[in-house]
Amino acid sequence: MSDALTISKPPDEALRAFLAFLLQEKKAAAVLTLDRIGKDAAPAYSLITDAKELESAAPLLPIMPANAGKLLAEITELGPSPEPIAAVLKPCELRALVELKKLNQANLDNLLLISFTCGGVFPLAIRNNGGINETLPAYRDALAKGEVADGIRPTCRACEHFVPYNADLTVALVGGPGSSGTSTFLINSSRGAEALEGFEGERTEAKLESDAIDALRAKRADEATKLYTESETAAPGLDGLISIFGRCLSCRACSTVCPICYCELCYFDSVTEDPAPNKYEAQLRHRKATRVPPGTIAFHLGRMTHMVISCVGCGMCSDVCPVSIPVATLFSMVGKSADKVFSYVPGKDLDEELPLKKYEVDELSHLGEERIES
Amino acid sequence: MSAAFVPNIVGFFCNWCSYTAADLAGVSRSHYEPTVRIIRVMCSSRVDPHMVVTAFLGGADGVLLAGCHPGDCHYVTGNYRTRRRFALLQSMFETLGLDTQRLKLSWIGASEGNRVGQVVTDLTEAVKQLGPNPAREAMFL
Amino acid sequence: MNGATVAAPEGVQQAITELLKRGLDEKVFGAVLVPARVPAGDSFAWLLVRDSAVLDEAQPLPPVMSVQGARAIYRFARRGVTGKVAAVLRPCEVRATVELAKLKQVEIDGLVLISMDCPGAVPLKAYVDDPQQGDADFEKLLNGDQTPARDICKVCHLFSRPASDLHFATLGSDNGQASIVAGSDQGRAVLKKLGIAEESSLDAWERAVAERQEQRQQARAEAQATLRQKIAGPDKLLETLSQCINCHVCRSVCPICYCRQCYFESQAVLMPPENILARARRKGGMRLPTDTLLFHVGRMSHMSLSCVSCGACEDACPSSIPVAQLFSLVGDATQKQFDYVAGRSVTEPLPTITYKEDELPDLVAPYVETYSGREAAS
Repeated sequence: MSDALTISKPPDEALRAFLAFLLQEKKAAAVLTLDRIGKDAAPAYSLITDAKELESAAPLLPIMPANAGKLLAEITELGPSPEPIAAVLKPCELRALVELKKLNQANLDNLLLISFTCGGVFPLAIRNNGGINETLPAYRDALAKGEVADGIRPTCRACEHFVPYNADLTVALVGGPGSSGTSTFLINSSRGAEALEGFEGERTEAKLESDAIDALRAKRADEATKLYTESETAAPGLDGLISIFGRCLSCRACSTVCPICYCELCYFDSVTEDPAPNKYEAQLRHRKATRVPPGTIAFHLGRMTHMVISCVGCGMCSDVCPVSIPVATLFSMVGKSADKVFSYVPGKDLDEELPLKKYEVDELSHLGEERIES
Repeated sequence: MSAAFVPNIVGFFCNWCSYTAADLAGVSRSHYEPTVRIIRVMCSSRVDPHMVVTAFLGGADGVLLAGCHPGDCHYVTGNYRTRRRFALLQSMFETLGLDTQRLKLSWIGASEGNRVGQVVTDLTEAVKQLGPNPAREAMFL
Repeated sequence: MNGATVAAPEGVQQAITELLKRGLDEKVFGAVLVPARVPAGDSFAWLLVRDSAVLDEAQPLPPVMSVQGARAIYRFARRGVTGKVAAVLRPCEVRATVELAKLKQVEIDGLVLISMDCPGAVPLKAYVDDPQQGDADFEKLLNGDQTPARDICKVCHLFSRPASDLHFATLGSDNGQASIVAGSDQGRAVLKKLGIAEESSLDAWERAVAERQEQRQQARAEAQATLRQKIAGPDKLLETLSQCINCHVCRSVCPICYCRQCYFESQAVLMPPENILARARRKGGMRLPTDTLLFHVGRMSHMSLSCVSCGACEDACPSSIPVAQLFSLVGDATQKQFDYVAGRSVTEPLPTITYKEDELPDLVAPYVETYSGREAAS
């Protein structure tokens, strides 16, 4: 049981009111949340400083036009925020932010991190022709019942980390405690408690973990098994990889939107990998033909070796791929297996060092044969 | 009669231990099948895991990472990192359905000249069982 | 006009492949760059071919433009090539290659550029999601029905005879034969080496091309007029770009945008949090990622003079923004200022690196006319 605040407003409204409260009471200089400001009220993340602008905010809209963890890292890349910023993030965006902090790309000082138990997000294509509104009733229904919603990103269907880690405040959405028309904010830190002080609502005790959450977790685990064993990405082998990445344009959309890929100039676009006649001549010595641009699959596997351990399965990569390659499914699958080797969950424990940054003197003794010859 | 398959193995050998051992194997006239192409690196931890991927997709039938025994690294902790990266590579290859037996991590001390031949022969035999790397001739990589 | 005629019993694609094979086998070219269907069958990728047997699987004119041909070229040939490489390209890909040569990203001397009349291409994403339907749609394009073509292709008037070395005159071509026009001395030399004589009259073809060009130019003018209205002013332009997520795919697939690290992704646009907050305060809020308009208009200012209206950008955009039409509109307008057409000729210098002492008189307001009125008044 933990401290919580129950508010007599449905979650979206309650959050909007809370964010306005933070700005008006000067507890935050700015809030980062989804805002429906585009054509046909297209949602985008906005850093809002004037409470009036919150009228169009939609903090819990199940869409991810950019990974908000990446946005926060970009804001704090050159230094900590000088003033408090409150941000509403999905659990995977928050995990990405934590990973980025461990990679020295983000500073969490002065950030109030608000998250929620997440039902997943819809693919970006749904924004075309304003299709989001139509999906909301069914989505919210599924959320309340602890079911896996239809039509969400495949990696969302398979996500077992939908209860946020490291949030100062968590809005209970899945199987939400309390009747409709009320919301519960769970208070996870003193920063969260301070922020809520003076805000409308009743202090209570609430438990996040519930039957609905357990049920959903089990369902998501089933989906994960299905996704990672039944799709074309399951143990593809070289032929399978050639099949999956045959249509790849080497456009780098996946790495550009990936929260973990923070390098301004990717190694695979650097001078070291620049083409030279001798490179393709060498290839043509033992192949009848070679694909151009060169290194299509090498880029993906290489990128994997660099970031897959921190992959949070947010699914941005698959969404932006111009040719519908299931990048997220493949990467999150490999990430999950690799993380198991190190008993690591990306973004879960702030104090846990990145697996490749640390080592134990005695570990993985099955690797690297040591037979001493007599 | 088709020509017997002669594996092409890329070996990353750390300067201080395994490369020295390879030299020793040489001056000792130790015989082993010349299937490995040695790339000398100062420490096995210089090897970025994507280099192993590049070698594999470039057509190498096997990739050998050779470093100092844990605890003996010239740079103290380098080979601990190599070990972790190799664990990552192995997991990746396994999950992706690629032949993990084509990758090998071996600790070879500077005085273990005779081990070099052993390690190379072991990997060569394993690779011969697997056959040529299909990436060698694949066009759509 | 005269050209060469070759037998094409199995269609023009086959005729092109035959020429490539002969070129490789008779060592006229050292390698060939040509599209081929990928093993999964759902798209096409460029292959750099040395063994002519592989060419049986090539498809010189694929239904889609997956990787823009000029981008494929500089991704492997930026530092030059050994021997001659023959590249089979759509006209817009040839034009982009010519621009890249002028931008010093490709050494055009090492290339033999082979093109064909382009019927257009079908949208890429739709194709990979349903290749069979895509192939059927492309058949329609080949038969003159433009309906399934990409929007940018529907208004393309430069679908024929780019600055290539050899051009296959496929528009309205007879069954069983294919005509080739040499566009350069190199092209003529290749035909000569292969023993192909330029003895046929291509007047009928020229007329067909001219007719279609006129139709397209009209369609282009109409489309651009409509678009101009739609985006007039920053508010309307922003509306068109409102779904942009700043993924920059349009830039990375663009053949002209060759910078390894784009200015708009560099340290130059990094801001400390103090600045970000100050900017957000100015209007009460700031969309993130920010500077969407700056990116697009800035990219226009960098590359519109070389924009060849190929449409790779629009094919790739995950937000279905009409980027190609936008950039093509601006490209046409900026190029017109200098009487320049991107990719028209490799000897025509880029407008930004050349000048005449007396030009563009309307841009500069002379002192006398501007101030004399005020002086008189004061």
